[in-house]
Amino acid sequence: MKPKIAFNWKKMIEHKLFFPFVALAIILLFDLIFIPGFFRLQTKEGHLYGNLVDILRNGSTVMLLALGMTLVIATGGVDLSVGAVMAIAASVAAILMNPVIIGMKLPPDLMKFINDPNFTYAPLWQVITVTLIVATFCGMWNGLLVAYVKIQPMVATLILMIAGRGIAQLITNGVRIQIFYEPYAFLGSGWLILPFSLYIVALVFLLASLLTRKTAIGLFIESVGVNARSSFFSGIDEKKIKLLAYTFCGFCAGVAGLVASSNIRTSDANNIGLNYELDAILAVVIGGTLMAGGRFSLLASLIGALVMQATTTSMYAFGVPANAVLAIKGVVVILVILLYSEQVRSFIRRFTAPKEARS
Amino acid sequence: MKSRILYIVLIASMLLGLAACGGGGGGSKKTYTYKDMVVGFIQTGSEGGWRAANTASFKETAEQLGINLKFYDAQNKLENQLSAFRNFIADKEVNVIILAALETTGWEDVLKEAQKAGKVVVLEDRRIDAPEDLYATYIGSDFAEEGRKSADEMCKLLEGSASKNVVELVGNVGSSAAKDRGQGFREKMGACGINIVKSQTANWDATEGKAVMEAWLKETTDIQGVFAQNDEMGLGAAQAIKEAGLDPGDDIKILTVDATAGAFKAMVAGDINTVVECNPLLAPQVYEAALKVLNGQEVPKWIPSQEGVFYAKDAETILPTRKY
Repeated sequence: MKPKIAFNWKKMIEHKLFFPFVALAIILLFDLIFIPGFFRLQTKEGHLYGNLVDILRNGSTVMLLALGMTLVIATGGVDLSVGAVMAIAASVAAILMNPVIIGMKLPPDLMKFINDPNFTYAPLWQVITVTLIVATFCGMWNGLLVAYVKIQPMVATLILMIAGRGIAQLITNGVRIQIFYEPYAFLGSGWLILPFSLYIVALVFLLASLLTRKTAIGLFIESVGVNARSSFFSGIDEKKIKLLAYTFCGFCAGVAGLVASSNIRTSDANNIGLNYELDAILAVVIGGTLMAGGRFSLLASLIGALVMQATTTSMYAFGVPANAVLAIKGVVVILVILLYSEQVRSFIRRFTAPKEARS
Repeated sequence: MKSRILYIVLIASMLLGLAACGGGGGGSKKTYTYKDMVVGFIQTGSEGGWRAANTASFKETAEQLGINLKFYDAQNKLENQLSAFRNFIADKEVNVIILAALETTGWEDVLKEAQKAGKVVVLEDRRIDAPEDLYATYIGSDFAEEGRKSADEMCKLLEGSASKNVVELVGNVGSSAAKDRGQGFREKMGACGINIVKSQTANWDATEGKAVMEAWLKETTDIQGVFAQNDEMGLGAAQAIKEAGLDPGDDIKILTVDATAGAFKAMVAGDINTVVECNPLLAPQVYEAALKVLNGQEVPKWIPSQEGVFYAKDAETILPTRKY
């Protein structure tokens, strides 16, 4: 343990949220200097409109995933299947609203589907409930494999990562189903001054915070992450804790799937959530949670997700050539991760308080 | 006496008949029909609506024509494709092998084996890097032509518009479809003064198409047209345009490539103006070419697939007939 330092400036640097905020600030500073009008906010049709709002809204799916992923990573695991679970969730939701499989049997009253924004097969609450139950079940499956069958997390969740998209395609028979139901579309593309998806993120964040910080579960998760064996001997049921973390992660992926599919109004089993598991893991890492498990911060992960999204949106606005996008994203990530390395940190510490003796 | 003459006549006629039969069989080459074709078809694996329609086309057409089709789904694995290829070569029944290759290289060995075994190899949809004499023909889309058609159609859409600023949503960087569609478009766009003001990849994906379009619209709304290299990206862009308070299909014209059912629905709803087809129903052309080769006829090394252009005004009547 490092000694507590009373120095305020130092305390700030040691704070979990410091580095994610610095990373976000650097990206936004770049935008301020190089992209004129990036920070322009307008109101359009009664809601805010601008690049900053886009970052929040397009980042909401990765933010949702990052919340669940934080808990899983804190237990020392990882969930690679969240992107595939998103695809499953989107397919389940779409098939519930529009069970007619396009191309197989076109309904004679097809025009009604397109022109009637209130047409749906199952009511909205059923669509959401069933979808979330399916996604939660997917998470529980991962949890069972990891906690009770004792398969390594990466291998266990790889199974669903590969099979998940196949399952999603089976559900929709390999067809992209378009969604015309307006109330559903509100989830991902509706507005209450701010994008509605942001309120969903806030709700899930609140739920996760209550779960982990108002009960002992958060502490248990961290202790399982630090040392599963000794937590077991001190009376913590590490299997149940792990199961809970993966189950919650599946639930979050389900919510993210709902938001993503309603944002583009289609269930696209091939592309929805593709590679999002990696973005979510990066968001958690940028948020400062160690891949080895242990201490975590949900809020820091959310900011980590925003760092990812801010990078992407800035690149689109800046007009980076298409073939350089991924490389630049990689550079940003490596720079942020470098901020966390002990070497760089101790350098900064020395730099900010050169006279203080180090223990 | 009488009966002996009868015998002689009978035997003579039988001999003659036999000779006639033998002559018919040995002289000219056997003419193949669809019923004699035994086809081994190696598909890539499932990937989406386009591929599903492609597979369905081969199965249905084979049934209609009476072709014996042995279908193999390689589940997107190259080694599966290669072992299936060898199985079909060893299979004495099979006389035609159709391949939708996952990779462009690494086919020369099996192609040579197939040639030795006397199999007709036809490539569909995916072109490969191999000497042309190793396979009979390639049937697939001309991506560059799709790009050129797109430019022509965009010209029609922007006729009378003072400025012709078009943004381009590109597919996966480096894929031949993305490269050639972009190139074809640029070849023809000068004809009516189209100006590509922005171009970015959206990886064939609606979510990314939307995000990219959103970012562009924040910067400028002086955009008259969107050229989306596939339907999904165009559908995403249409959503972004709507949310910016503009009318897709009216304020900003949208042209997409592929022509899936989703794009037709968007055309009915008035969000997309024109789609250029990328036809997955290649089976009739492929089977026809294979039959010609079996019968010793010459076919070109590349047969472009038959593709059309569809407009919003016809979408409502065409939609129910679309297979994919």
